[in-house]
Amino acid sequence: MSSEVALDIHSGVSSLHVENQSHDSHVHHHETFIYKYVFSMDHKMIAKQFLITGMFWAVLGGLMSVLFRLQLGYPDSTFPWLEDILGKWAKGGHITPEAYYALVTTHGTVLVFFVLTAGLSGTFANFLIPLQVGARDMASPFMNMLSFWFFFIAGIVMLSSIFVETGPFSGGWTAYPPLSALGDASPGSKTGMDLWIVSMALFVVSSLLGGLNYIATVLNMRTKGMSMTRLPLTIWALFFTAVLGVLSFPVLFSGFILLIFDRNFGTSFYLSDIFVNGAGALPNEGGSAILYQHLFWFLGHPEVYIILLPAMGMVSEILSTNSRKPIFGYMAMIGSMFAIAILAFLVWAHHMFVTGLNPFLGSIFVLLTLLIAVPSAIKVFNWLTTLWRGNIRFTPAMMFAIGFVSLFISGGLTGIWLGNSALDIHLHDTYFVIAHFHIVMGVASMFGMFAGIYHWFPKMYGRYLNNTLGYVHFWITIVGAYLIFWPMHYEGLAGMPRRYYDYSIWESFKQFGDLNRFISTVAMIVFATQILFLANFFYSIFKGRKLRSTNPWGSNTLEWTTPIKPGHGNWPGEIPEVYRWAYDYGKDGHDFISQTTPIGADESVH
Amino acid sequence: MSHTAEASHHDDGSAVKEIWKVTLILSVLTIIELILGFWMMGINSEALRLAIKGSIVILMIAKAFYIVGYFMHLKHELKNLIMTIVVPLALFIWFITAFLYEGNSYKNLRNRYDPYKKAQTEIKVHKSEEVK
Amino acid sequence: MSTVTATAAPTKLWGGGKSPFNVEYGKLMMWYFLMSDAFTFGAFLISYGTIRFSSNGWPNPNEIFKSFPFAPEGVHAPLVFVSVMTFILIISSVTMVLAVHAGKQMDKNAVVKNLILTIIGGIAFLSCQAWEWNHLHSEGAWWGANPFLNADGTQSSTNFTNYFFTITGFHGFHVFSGVVINIIMLIMTLLDKFEKRGHYLMIEKAGLYWHFVDLVWVFVFTCFYLI
Repeated sequence: MSSEVALDIHSGVSSLHVENQSHDSHVHHHETFIYKYVFSMDHKMIAKQFLITGMFWAVLGGLMSVLFRLQLGYPDSTFPWLEDILGKWAKGGHITPEAYYALVTTHGTVLVFFVLTAGLSGTFANFLIPLQVGARDMASPFMNMLSFWFFFIAGIVMLSSIFVETGPFSGGWTAYPPLSALGDASPGSKTGMDLWIVSMALFVVSSLLGGLNYIATVLNMRTKGMSMTRLPLTIWALFFTAVLGVLSFPVLFSGFILLIFDRNFGTSFYLSDIFVNGAGALPNEGGSAILYQHLFWFLGHPEVYIILLPAMGMVSEILSTNSRKPIFGYMAMIGSMFAIAILAFLVWAHHMFVTGLNPFLGSIFVLLTLLIAVPSAIKVFNWLTTLWRGNIRFTPAMMFAIGFVSLFISGGLTGIWLGNSALDIHLHDTYFVIAHFHIVMGVASMFGMFAGIYHWFPKMYGRYLNNTLGYVHFWITIVGAYLIFWPMHYEGLAGMPRRYYDYSIWESFKQFGDLNRFISTVAMIVFATQILFLANFFYSIFKGRKLRSTNPWGSNTLEWTTPIKPGHGNWPGEIPEVYRWAYDYGKDGHDFISQTTPIGADESVH
Repeated sequence: MSHTAEASHHDDGSAVKEIWKVTLILSVLTIIELILGFWMMGINSEALRLAIKGSIVILMIAKAFYIVGYFMHLKHELKNLIMTIVVPLALFIWFITAFLYEGNSYKNLRNRYDPYKKAQTEIKVHKSEEVK
Repeated sequence: MSTVTATAAPTKLWGGGKSPFNVEYGKLMMWYFLMSDAFTFGAFLISYGTIRFSSNGWPNPNEIFKSFPFAPEGVHAPLVFVSVMTFILIISSVTMVLAVHAGKQMDKNAVVKNLILTIIGGIAFLSCQAWEWNHLHSEGAWWGANPFLNADGTQSSTNFTNYFFTITGFHGFHVFSGVVINIIMLIMTLLDKFEKRGHYLMIEKAGLYWHFVDLVWVFVFTCFYLI
């Protein structure tokens, strides 16, 4: 194993030369099915495992949203087939309130953690970091494998919670106490919550194992000549993502441990002054429910950037490659990502302006929150100026990357509204918030992920995805995303609260009945389009158009210097040395200059 | 095998000497902390107590510095490594400030808007009632 | 080979092809793991502080942690027992440093001796903690049960004991895992695993973990017993 080799050099001053030899021996030995596809320690296989598991969860989480959109769009109709699939949770073809809340909660948890954290950064950090920094594999392939399997088990536990008698947890993905701390609070707060919390604890372990590995790999395993400022922006983004995860997930973990004690051992960390209908006043005294929210959002806000940064990094890379232009403001991009990573830790309480948070403290959080607009704007301008007068190739990956920028702008702007504690009095917990974070974090990151998949699919499987289906997928998804979430801004401004089961019984929100039906219809169409994408994905793995050259996009980065289907160890011979940054496009009359090309004698300085 | 940066810093004798020196410093700091702790027991002035508590926290950080710097050898690592470990810890400043400020504010708000509850917390329990 | 890299180090530390920090990745990962663990403990202690700041009263630790094993009932010896525990942990940290140092010298016998001392220190600490927990439990203190009054004689919430048992328990769990790791290191040393590898770097990583446990105790000790 590479760990042994690295240790052998005693000082740890790694000489890649020695490591290479050991990995070469890896390449040659025969791998059984189990070790190649199941307990694989090859970062590329682990990436695919993350991706496909993430896809499974995306379908499940997306299906859940379709089901609860059915309730929101058609509160008065019954769908007998729902009873067939959901049983007692949809008595008479009508989703019950408990089921509705369970669906909303699981949709949120699954999409945020399993799809957009594990599925996004798990996939692309694993796939791209060793390939783009020029390493044989991750620093510790074994820990990498464990990371996936912890994630997988977390998923199994979460899945099992759907099938318990009292249903999955239904108190919202943030799991605020007392709903999460008291079994008597709701049916989902019983076994469902126990499983939820176990699943999340396993997930924290998984993300920690992965994150430590990503950091160590980026720092220690770069190939010769690959200085930090020659790294592609994808790697920088994934690096910051890993740092965010390593520093913020433990805080959530502590919060969960306290929650477990509150649930099972009679403590009152989060509980005080509680009266439960039927059970009377509880003895718990002296805790603070807001403490949990602080601990949760100390992770929760960095989590937003854990989701967004990998998408930003991939989009930067794809925009530059397909504009045939160097990325505009490379150092500014790194600087703004660094600023975002720091600010991510300082702004958590803007999720809690109306909880009774001290208003003075709130005003500081407003200031820090609005500061995030600065690096975000820098990034947006840099993307736009990268596109400006570029020689743009509209590949599906490029379309999704441009779509990401569009969504990031429109979703980010509403963030400036929500960052104000005074406006938040009106807007908190309304559909305005739903619209904001779905566009800027949910859909935008999904677009980043799609862009990444379309762009690196040839590297993953040695075949192309179908382009036509790709364009169909893109146009329906972007138009659909705006049609779903744009109207929600109006609903939110009108005060329509989120997480209500049936708006038709409210005089103030009845007027949105048609609009809700429209949103639900579009949501179903968009969901169906994602199935089309999945069909494209799995069909193309086996039957897609074959790759004929190693570098289909004319890209500079190192992953395209590997063979079409790289084995375990990535490069058959020596790892190439790097002589330049990753963005020499359209320079000195050359369309692109690979990072492995030495600087020419008469070359201009970038 | 002693070409590496860490090994060249100090040879065997001085390294062991340094270990014992740090042990002595840690012991002395702990003893000062304990003396302050004993001293504080007899003091009723809230301001003075706070000052002593502050000094104890400073001593605690000094101890942490010696453990991390010498026992964990961080002081002899390259400066970049030191920075990547120490700088993120600065996040604790705002982490601690915001949480404690918020805890204090929560108490004040509750005392202000829930006078009944405040009165409840002011009832003294007689010694005889104390479970022993 | 390492001579070349070492002399070239100042100029091209970050140039790729080598570790910018001159450490192997395992040690790097251990450091960053410890940082993330620092955030776990930090979050616990900060929560404790937050709840304490939001309470109108809080028990006086000197009235609670005042007994000593084999001492007569009702003895008033605050801070004494916990100082003993603190010194045990500091001394075990010293022996661990000596073990790491001996490992660098490839001195197997000294490694074994110091590791055994460290393990004994760890077990001694755990025993002290077990005694203290048991004693407090016999006084009626446990998760969700707090027999002690606030310093001003008012009724206390259970959060004093809740946090005490949770945080010292979590720390004790770390000490326990540290002891297990050290025992594994001891066995590996006795089996000449490190002699064959030609270095004792594993001991160094185990040492980092053990010192971190000591470090956390510095904070726990201060937050619960002193202030």
